[in-house]
Amino acid sequence: MSKPVKSEEILSVALSKGRLQDATLELLGRAGVELDTSEAGSRKLIFRDRSGCFQFFMLKPVDVPTYVEYGVADLGIAGWDVLLESESDVHQPLDLGIGRCIMAVAGPRTTARKNYRELSAVRIATKYPRITTDHFTRQGVPVEIIYLSGSVELAPRLGLSERIVDLVATGRTLADNGLQVIEPICEVSARLIVNRASYQVKRQAVSRLIQRLADSLNR
Amino acid sequence: MKTLTQVPLGTQVLFGPAVKRRRRVERLVFSIFSRWKYEEIIPPIFDYYDVFSKGMGAELEETLYRFVDREGNLLALRPEFTSLVAKTVATRLQDRPKPLRLCYCGDVLRYEAPRGGRQRESFQLGIENIGGERVACDAEVIQVAMEALQRVGIDRFQFNLGEMGFFAGLVERFGLSAQDLSRIRKLIDRKDPVGLQAEMERLQLSPRRREVLHALLHLTGNGETIDAARRLVSNEKSLSALDNLAGLYAELQRRKLAQHVTIDLSEVRGLDYYTGIIFKIYVPGLGFEVGSGGRYDNLLKNFGCDLPSVGFTFFLERLMALPLKLR
Repeated sequence: MSKPVKSEEILSVALSKGRLQDATLELLGRAGVELDTSEAGSRKLIFRDRSGCFQFFMLKPVDVPTYVEYGVADLGIAGWDVLLESESDVHQPLDLGIGRCIMAVAGPRTTARKNYRELSAVRIATKYPRITTDHFTRQGVPVEIIYLSGSVELAPRLGLSERIVDLVATGRTLADNGLQVIEPICEVSARLIVNRASYQVKRQAVSRLIQRLADSLNR
Repeated sequence: MKTLTQVPLGTQVLFGPAVKRRRRVERLVFSIFSRWKYEEIIPPIFDYYDVFSKGMGAELEETLYRFVDREGNLLALRPEFTSLVAKTVATRLQDRPKPLRLCYCGDVLRYEAPRGGRQRESFQLGIENIGGERVACDAEVIQVAMEALQRVGIDRFQFNLGEMGFFAGLVERFGLSAQDLSRIRKLIDRKDPVGLQAEMERLQLSPRRREVLHALLHLTGNGETIDAARRLVSNEKSLSALDNLAGLYAELQRRKLAQHVTIDLSEVRGLDYYTGIIFKIYVPGLGFEVGSGGRYDNLLKNFGCDLPSVGFTFFLERLMALPLKLR
């Protein structure tokens, strides 16, 4: 670290492990945030950048909005899916365009041919109860949610539910399990989120980072 | 069946040092209120539902604790104090010399998911300044809030100052439904350009209108922000809101308080009864605002007495979460 940075000027940024991790680190690199790759790539959960201006937390994606809403992290990078599901009260100034995929209703081909609107209630297995409920009730279709925390694509195969709501990137996982998209719900990509108070109180540092990220997107 | 020992979500019990600390904070804040000649008022914990629902806005109305009494009247537990103070002044204190200075402290109840610094039962401390001259009273209320913070040892804080009339004037001629408007407001409040763009496309707003709303997201900074905003609009309501803001900012400069103030015209979230300036109070180290306030010139009209008013409230639990100096 060249010169010490005052602790109140350090921005803490919550990052999502897993699906978004590599693309996030790469994006930060493009925005000129120099990470010690050995640190970022390792299993360390808290690390700094070279300038000492940023502190990063590697978190489970669903926890990112929580840390940001409470101001423990000033900023965060989280998928739109996670944000919709959490309904967190945070600012969302930037679509980072990474981790693009869609949220969709899916099921086996035989199910896909049936119009679910004619059922008395649709049964859906999903990690996203809020998004799912919202999608179906908005159309006036009652929905029965079966909440799962992972491997949702197994549910139709094992007979838990005929349909699922999940993220679809390439469609490979669906196809491998004999499923296909029945209807898309929304497009999903990673967003930059900012704590409401940090956005105001650390305005300069926050705006600078937003600008650097925005510039790197346009490049 | 719930057991007797279980506690309902969102309630709290204080004891031991926490009680001492809280009472101290209340006393210190109140010492500032009384130095400024604000007189305490103790309103009821419940009133007719309509007293609160008028002016709160649909989103907050959903959080009211409602109940029916034996005569079948719809009542509600107080979700805030301002409506109750306004009602009391309009019906019983309207002949007192103006401005009327009143302060209060006590519980408010809102039925909402306990999260992000919100409880269902929480504690507010605040003041209302009723029937006085606009700029002077706006500035006074802000000054009282700042002095109260300093009294409990908080020297670094930021007041985000907006004007409801600016946004209202901007969208007046868009001809949007209340629902569409509230969606736009929410997106601006979230500083979400992507969502805003999509929504504006859905509503088929003209390119010029889209440009203005986009610019609004970044209308924040010091006094120069007001000039930048002036170049953006031509409608009378928005311009008069900016004049008003400029007048207040100059007054705050005169009182040497402007260094704590950020002009933020993208500040559009607030209770529906706010008509003029609104502000939110931020303190470094806390992820939520510790207080908020604003001008509500039409609220007393609901109770049959037309008096312009301004006030603010502290959210005591949040204030208590800060490292305070209580001497």
